[in-house]
Amino acid sequence: MKRFYLIGFLLLMGFDTLAQVSFKYAGNHAIPFAVSLEWVLSVFSQPWVYGAVIGYVGAFFTWMALLKHAPIGPAFAASHLEVVSVMLLSIWLFDEHLNTARVLGAIAIIAGIVCLGMAESREHVPEPAEA
Amino acid sequence: MMSVAGSISPLVAGLWLLNIVLDTGGQLAFKAAAGDETAGDGLARWKHMASRPWLWLGVASYVIEFLVWIAFLSLIPLSEGVLLGSINIVAIMVAGRFLFGEKLTRLRVAGILLVTLGVVIVGVGG
Repeated sequence: MKRFYLIGFLLLMGFDTLAQVSFKYAGNHAIPFAVSLEWVLSVFSQPWVYGAVIGYVGAFFTWMALLKHAPIGPAFAASHLEVVSVMLLSIWLFDEHLNTARVLGAIAIIAGIVCLGMAESREHVPEPAEA
Repeated sequence: MMSVAGSISPLVAGLWLLNIVLDTGGQLAFKAAAGDETAGDGLARWKHMASRPWLWLGVASYVIEFLVWIAFLSLIPLSEGVLLGSINIVAIMVAGRFLFGEKLTRLRVAGILLVTLGVVIVGVGG
């Protein structure tokens, strides 16, 4: 069962990562942003936007399947820790560099997400019957 | 290319704020739609939800947010964008506290402060 959760968490991160990378590609391939119908049409006229849709739908169903059985704390953390995978992929795919601010900011955010995940875990522990 | 003050232009900041409003608003609308006690069960529940505005408000928020997020990411690096977007976690928890009386334990407050601190660091330092 442990392996089932692990695969589920990785799958969730994978779908979320696919969505974010696709969002970035979709934005890059569209005409420069303007509040116009032309811009919206240029977003939907190339395939990346559908990668984002697949990522979203995949993440949604993975999340729903996980929530039925998996502990909520780790599931919560896994559903937000795609910031790590997306950051690492953006170095490779988009030639981005990680400056000090991004690394420090990411460490604080990840620590925060872990705290929130732990808070969720604690709250969903069956409470002892009140005296 | 990146200036000392970071890459946050007024347009990027505006799209970021709009994303927070739409993401939080969408979640809360879905919560209001799903939490309606009078909705009944099964198909009747879906019919009830479809006949009231909350579900559609949620769907509309998400559709617009989808486009706002693409616009946002087209203007800044992806590694910066996903970090700045983490603030949505905080916004939803704070909104849940005020609107649904969800409790904020010490661990939750610590998590909220850490995520906020991280977003501020990225926003100021690029």
